[in-house]
Amino acid sequence: MKPSMELPLVFFTLLSQTAIGLTLLSGLRRWRMAGADATAGADDPDRRLWLAAAGMLALGLVLSLFHLGHPLESVTALKHLSTSWLSREALAFGLLTALLAVTALKGLPAALVRLSAVFGLAALFIQGMTYAPPSFPAVNNGLPFALFLLSALVLGAGAASWFAPQEAKPALARVLTVALCVALAVHLLAPSIWLTGGTVTRMTALAYLRSPLYWAHIVIGLAAPLIVVLRTKTIPSWLPWALMLGALCGRIVFYLETVHTAANLGGLY
Amino acid sequence: MKKQLAFFVDAKRCIGCFTCAMACKNQYQTEQGVAWRQVYPLKEDIYPHHERAFYSLACNHCEKPVCLEACPVEAYYKREKDGVVVHEQEKCIGCGNCIRSCPYGAPHYNPVEKRAEKCSLCWQRLDAGLKPACVQSCPVNALQLIDLATFGETNAVQYPPGYPKMEKLNPSTRFRQAELPKIQRREDI
Repeated sequence: MKPSMELPLVFFTLLSQTAIGLTLLSGLRRWRMAGADATAGADDPDRRLWLAAAGMLALGLVLSLFHLGHPLESVTALKHLSTSWLSREALAFGLLTALLAVTALKGLPAALVRLSAVFGLAALFIQGMTYAPPSFPAVNNGLPFALFLLSALVLGAGAASWFAPQEAKPALARVLTVALCVALAVHLLAPSIWLTGGTVTRMTALAYLRSPLYWAHIVIGLAAPLIVVLRTKTIPSWLPWALMLGALCGRIVFYLETVHTAANLGGLY
Repeated sequence: MKKQLAFFVDAKRCIGCFTCAMACKNQYQTEQGVAWRQVYPLKEDIYPHHERAFYSLACNHCEKPVCLEACPVEAYYKREKDGVVVHEQEKCIGCGNCIRSCPYGAPHYNPVEKRAEKCSLCWQRLDAGLKPACVQSCPVNALQLIDLATFGETNAVQYPPGYPKMEKLNPSTRFRQAELPKIQRREDI
């Protein structure tokens, strides 16, 4: 198998995770707010956030079609829900897009907000399982889900700062700080742990550590934003772009540098 | 046990001539760069000798094929009568999920058709009472067609070094491992 950047999937996963992060954090904030059961008016910034999240998910789904050899036949991808995580992913993200749009259009009723949050987490789990096949021993575990959840929190907190009222920004900065700390630790620890594994897992670790894009993700997408947030105690309006650029580098590395077992047939596994 | 057709790769006999891979390519006229069967030389960390040893590998027609499970459009099925895993290319939408999921790299992307494809164990030839093209072409009988239900080779192994151990998939290919090369000593001559 020749490794490929899979750019349509890079954009799909990043946009969908940003959308889920946005709605998770918005849902959490509304749940904590007094009077959270109240519906949002047409000019409520939260409502704009949810519509933007639904738009991102829809855009991501459209972009994901470009990785198919035959995009016009994509609807048949829902046929194998019994065992195929990809079928489940297609269904889950299709339903989630509709759910976010309906929740926004209905004025963010609390029940739908909670349902969207739970469904978003479930969709992230399904997405994580889609990228954890046995052919990639380094990620044939819960790591893809953990990485995707952290991406959702980092990118979601960043993008939410564009929509959030001024009084909510310090809380978002705190969420972003914690998410960046955990993400930085996980992204630095994963290759270190892989180095102690089997041959193909070690090959993955070395491929990551030798990749400039991996270090670009660490610096641009995690470490530098962490320093900025720690110093300013807020999220500057340009920071989400840096987070997205870093995440883009990191996701390309995920697709390009995770080593497939078939790459070492005839050698140690 | 139900009938399960499989390849028997005799690494003791294989001379790495690639005839099996070429016979497969001739049979199916696969696109440039696409080879359903490949011959892999064993790396030095497994076979540290001046002489080389090889595994000729294609689809393993697993008991629980991950390609079949991962395919979102049900383009794969496993034949009841002989366990051959068949890919129906006309159903494939070219998502590449089977290619990513198979630990043995059996499915390949056809860049012209924009769909996946893989070794079919020449099921059309089997149904006509013929051997698979690769098996028929092997000049040293290093690649054989076996039925696991009746196979009695006691030296055969399922997971030799250089071949990923995937117990959940239970690949059907069996191997006879390469032996140490014969050392000709002066006193033997």
